[in-house]
Amino acid sequence: MTVAELRPTGTASADLPVIAARGVTKTFGDGRVVALEGADFDVRPGEFISLVGPSGCGKSTLLRIVAGLLGSSAGSLSVHGEKVTGPRHDVAMMFQKPTLLAWRTAIENVLLPTEIAGRVTDKDRRRAMDLLELTGLKDFAFSFPSQLSGGMQQRVALARLLQTGADILLLDEPFGALDEFTREHLNVELMRIVGEVGATTLFVTHNIGEAIFLADRVFVMTPRPGRLAKIVDVPFARPRSPELQLTPDFNQLVAEVRTTLGAVA
Amino acid sequence: MSEADERALRGAVGPTSRRIMFNHLAILMSLLTAWEVGVRTGTLDALFFPLPTDILAGFWRLYVVQGNVWSHLGLTMMEVSIGFLAGSALGIGLAVVVGLVEPLRRYMKPYVIITEATPRIAIGPVIIAAFGFGWTSKVAIVMLVCFFAPFVNTLNGMVNVDDDELDMMRSMRASKLQIFRKLMIPDAMPEIMGGLRLAMASALGGALVAEFIAANAGMGVLINQYTGVLNMASAFVCVLTLTAIGFFILRFMEAVDRWLVFWGDRARTEAVSRRRASAWARREEGRT
Ligand SMILES: Nc1ncnc2c1ncn2[C@@H]1O[C@H](COP(=O)(O)OP(=O)(O)OP(=O)(O)O)[C@@H](O)[C@H]1O
Ligand SMILES: [Mg+2]
Repeated sequence: MTVAELRPTGTASADLPVIAARGVTKTFGDGRVVALEGADFDVRPGEFISLVGPSGCGKSTLLRIVAGLLGSSAGSLSVHGEKVTGPRHDVAMMFQKPTLLAWRTAIENVLLPTEIAGRVTDKDRRRAMDLLELTGLKDFAFSFPSQLSGGMQQRVALARLLQTGADILLLDEPFGALDEFTREHLNVELMRIVGEVGATTLFVTHNIGEAIFLADRVFVMTPRPGRLAKIVDVPFARPRSPELQLTPDFNQLVAEVRTTLGAVA
Repeated sequence: MSEADERALRGAVGPTSRRIMFNHLAILMSLLTAWEVGVRTGTLDALFFPLPTDILAGFWRLYVVQGNVWSHLGLTMMEVSIGFLAGSALGIGLAVVVGLVEPLRRYMKPYVIITEATPRIAIGPVIIAAFGFGWTSKVAIVMLVCFFAPFVNTLNGMVNVDDDELDMMRSMRASKLQIFRKLMIPDAMPEIMGGLRLAMASALGGALVAEFIAANAGMGVLINQYTGVLNMASAFVCVLTLTAIGFFILRFMEAVDRWLVFWGDRARTEAVSRRRASAWARREEGRT
């Protein structure tokens, strides 16, 4: 398997922002609940963005709007220069729950996006197997979800996410339901994998340290109404090792984000 | 007592499956013997307890000598099969339509509740009046009995699809038909099968009650005729026949359930997993 083969088939060009949001707003219940207010940002090709903030600050709402699962109430959102009107083939999303289909083996779950898009070829099957190898599950390709641990199920979901070939990956607290050891391990894996395939990533988390460790930039969000309060640049070079989290520079960034959350909330 | 003695003792009383079978047989034989003796000595009323040996002779008489059970049994089983297939197909089909069309769901609800609250058998005479004494009215009653459990369960299964799983499918740009086929139907499968098992369990009873109400042939009629002339041994033969059929129907439905909804059963899941793995390997071989 070569990494190039697993690269997404999307249409990124170096200078254009991959995602451009201008005043994106979402209200629920006839405008009584403002889930997201005036979000303005650009995301550059291959960037890893963490979205961090307390519960109810509109992280999932923003992700669902980018995924085309939810329409915005005001403002405009474009992906690769095109206004988002619904789910796109170059945007894929992963959820907090694995959302695997119980009656499909791991590899059949990974092949689901291909099956939905059209016919499954031998090349697709090989790619799915390679992605399971990339996520460390080659030996479990024919296991059903009920035979896998929670962490393994999320790896299958990650392989399925990559199988879509999308170059924009949206991850909504993908490892939030897992124990801390598994989560940390999977975070490192995720960073390596999206780095290898060169995808643009929006990653939602409650955890400030995790957000900084993974990201090129951290979007700090605050609730009631949901707002993008601050964008924090993360200057650390890649590849990063977990020891980075023990350095003073890292902890200073953590403090900065925490202050933003404390000050505005 | 030494350990070896202990083991030997445990081995002697230990419940091996052959021993359990033997015990069951022994208990059954003593019960039947007690019954036989009880009737012969007049302790048990022969009217309600025909002699076990008479019942045994009855099987020979009804099935081989007279051979009159077959046509009645065939008719009842036909009513059960057609009624079950048509009733549950209608239930599942209607639930799918109602589950997919939101306004229908809202306006159908009161009628479903009212019909569900009505004792099905109470409508029996009405249906017989409408369809006549023949088998069509029996099929209609079995259909009615078999409609609701599959309908309610299928609808429940379809409505209870996980929101995140729906979003997952939508984010992959799945069409409505794909979401229906690849997510909603398999997801509802355990509940649909539960509904079918309930329906199947009541189908036989429904046919018999319908035949009791008014009919000119069928197992219900036969039982009525034999009890009418106090030929209890023959009536028992009919009842025991239905017991056996009911038993096999339930076993069959269980097997179908385990086969279709394999992911609900650990051992079956492992077996299917191995099968998929070897199918994949065979495909790989075929390609090279
Ligand atoms: N479908 C909906 N209908 C009504 N209100 C909603 C809906 N979805 C979200 N909201 C509201 O919008 C706000 C933002 O929700 P959102 O799920 O985006 O928050 P979040 O940052 O993802 O929170 P969490 O960290 O708990 O997942 C919340 O106040 C929520 O109650
Ligand atoms: Mg959320």
